[in-house]
Amino acid sequence: MDTEKHDAWDLHCHINDASAAEYRSDMPEIRTDIGAVIGADFEIMAGPGAVLTGSERVAIAASARSGNPSDTLGVFASHLYQSPATVAADDVSRAARASGFPSVVETIGIVARLSAADRFCEVMGFDPKPLPDPTDDAPTGNVQNDLKKRRAHVPMPPGPIPVALDLVPSEGEALRAMFGPMYMTEDEMSDPHFRRTPGLDTPQLETIAARISLINECFY
Amino acid sequence: MFSHARRLSWSGEKLEHQINLKGLTDPSIDLGVPGGRELVGLVDAFVTDGDQEGAREAVIDMLGFEAFVDSAAVFGNFEMMNRIAEGSGIPIPPQLVEREDQMMKTLGLYDILKSQQL
Repeated sequence: MDTEKHDAWDLHCHINDASAAEYRSDMPEIRTDIGAVIGADFEIMAGPGAVLTGSERVAIAASARSGNPSDTLGVFASHLYQSPATVAADDVSRAARASGFPSVVETIGIVARLSAADRFCEVMGFDPKPLPDPTDDAPTGNVQNDLKKRRAHVPMPPGPIPVALDLVPSEGEALRAMFGPMYMTEDEMSDPHFRRTPGLDTPQLETIAARISLINECFY
Repeated sequence: MFSHARRLSWSGEKLEHQINLKGLTDPSIDLGVPGGRELVGLVDAFVTDGDQEGAREAVIDMLGFEAFVDSAAVFGNFEMMNRIAEGSGIPIPPQLVEREDQMMKTLGLYDILKSQQL
């Protein structure tokens, strides 16, 4: 895949330790699709969700990072961000009783995508991207109200993880938008010979995916 | 873990690698993936707070800088996906587990399944 390259500063991150600064002198080119998808996702975070305002959404992200939540959704966000393997059905139910399933699904989406950005920056040796300023727009109300909660913790359609947040369609779309730059597109996933040029191939990508999931005790 | 171990096995077979999935649970065992030891080392260094600088250098030296950037991105992606799975509680189809019984035993996945009561 031919990707445009760009200076690390376009990620709006900062080199925060000496080891990463040494890398900067060698590279500093990072393919632009990663910075673009993280930037776009932070704009989504700042904007209205289906039921949560931009301010509430950014506050959830702040609670996740700080580990110092002030309300039930913040407690859930912090728990999911800091220690996902210990999140149980009761934790999700508690948050849903307080705020409703759409709010919980928005929270899962915000926290999960924030962790993608934060861990990327951490591995690269960058400071975390600053949280955005929220917008004032009203929530959209776009919730798939006909979905049922079956064996999962939240209502969702049948299917694999990429549709797990589709109770709130905008969260599902934001999740799926991350895959291409941060892993593989759907088409690329179906090709065992895929190799990002230059970069990793499918077995190498899956090695990382499997090892992280094993250590995080994530069965799926 | 389950779906990605399957995909690793599938893609490795297509590329004629000698994949040994035990290398996912025991880093001293050769996984059979080029640079696999360094990639596992990178994950371990950041998930368990190990020698992060050494792990970065090892991946860059073995696979190149662009591969290191890819690794960081995939790391982020799966930290995200793990939280989606845990937060949503998405279930695993039982028939899928039954079909992959040998892999489940090799990777100790029955223990994880049981502990999470999926």
